[in-house]
Amino acid sequence: MSAWNRLKNRLIAMLATRHPALAERLVAGYHPEPSAGAIPWAPPGKPLGACKVAVVTTAGVHHAGQQPFDMVDRNGDPSFRELDGVTIGSDFRITHDYYDHGDAERDLNIVLPLQRLEELRREGIIGGLARFHYSFMGHISGPHLATLTGKHAPEVADRLRGADVDLVLLTPA
Amino acid sequence: MGLIQRAIEKAGIPTIGISIVRQYTEQVRPPRSVYLHWPFGHPLGEPGNVRQQRAVLFEAFKALYTISTPGEIVDLSFSWRRFDYTNYREPKKIPFGGE
Repeated sequence: MSAWNRLKNRLIAMLATRHPALAERLVAGYHPEPSAGAIPWAPPGKPLGACKVAVVTTAGVHHAGQQPFDMVDRNGDPSFRELDGVTIGSDFRITHDYYDHGDAERDLNIVLPLQRLEELRREGIIGGLARFHYSFMGHISGPHLATLTGKHAPEVADRLRGADVDLVLLTPA
Repeated sequence: MGLIQRAIEKAGIPTIGISIVRQYTEQVRPPRSVYLHWPFGHPLGEPGNVRQQRAVLFEAFKALYTISTPGEIVDLSFSWRRFDYTNYREPKKIPFGGE
């Protein structure tokens, strides 16, 4: 049955990408839990031209040799993949049944803009580009939300801090 | 995505997120966002459209330095497949603003 479910999810994703009215109906049917408490706040301390930038995406990107995200679990997969910015452009896969990634496969920059950021680095607009970037799949629900916020997201934050990253750009799917 | 963004900002790293679904972002309340009313799977735009992808990056970085209220969402004016990116003037340097 899971093969049928995956096929159904992919079909819905393809139609939703092409037909905005369907996308809006799907969006209206899902209500994320509102975040309680204060919004975390860390203002930038340096000009952009001195900042090392990393990207975190929820577009389901991973290296060909890494384990794909789990598409069978209805609550999604809260784990992450570490992406090597030097090689990801030539060996990437996208495992994510909840959006149509045909265009992202033609040009990864529309979800993971590393070539554009490398250009901005060479032009001196940003100070540096991190070697490693991080990828999740969106569409996480139920018990996996606590695993994401309590375990995997803080782990990625620690790795970014360890790499002296100054700014993070987040891209959805 | 907003939950991951909150965790990174909580660790002390400034973040900017691209939002494709404004109502989700309003609920999850990440620190800073730019919103684009664009189809799923295209947060930086269309394949091969370098000027468009750069324009989104420039506007995201500008928002990172100018948003001063936690949770603010900046609505970008790039209408899908209508905006002419040859009319977009790239800033030479993103100001140190926001203070």
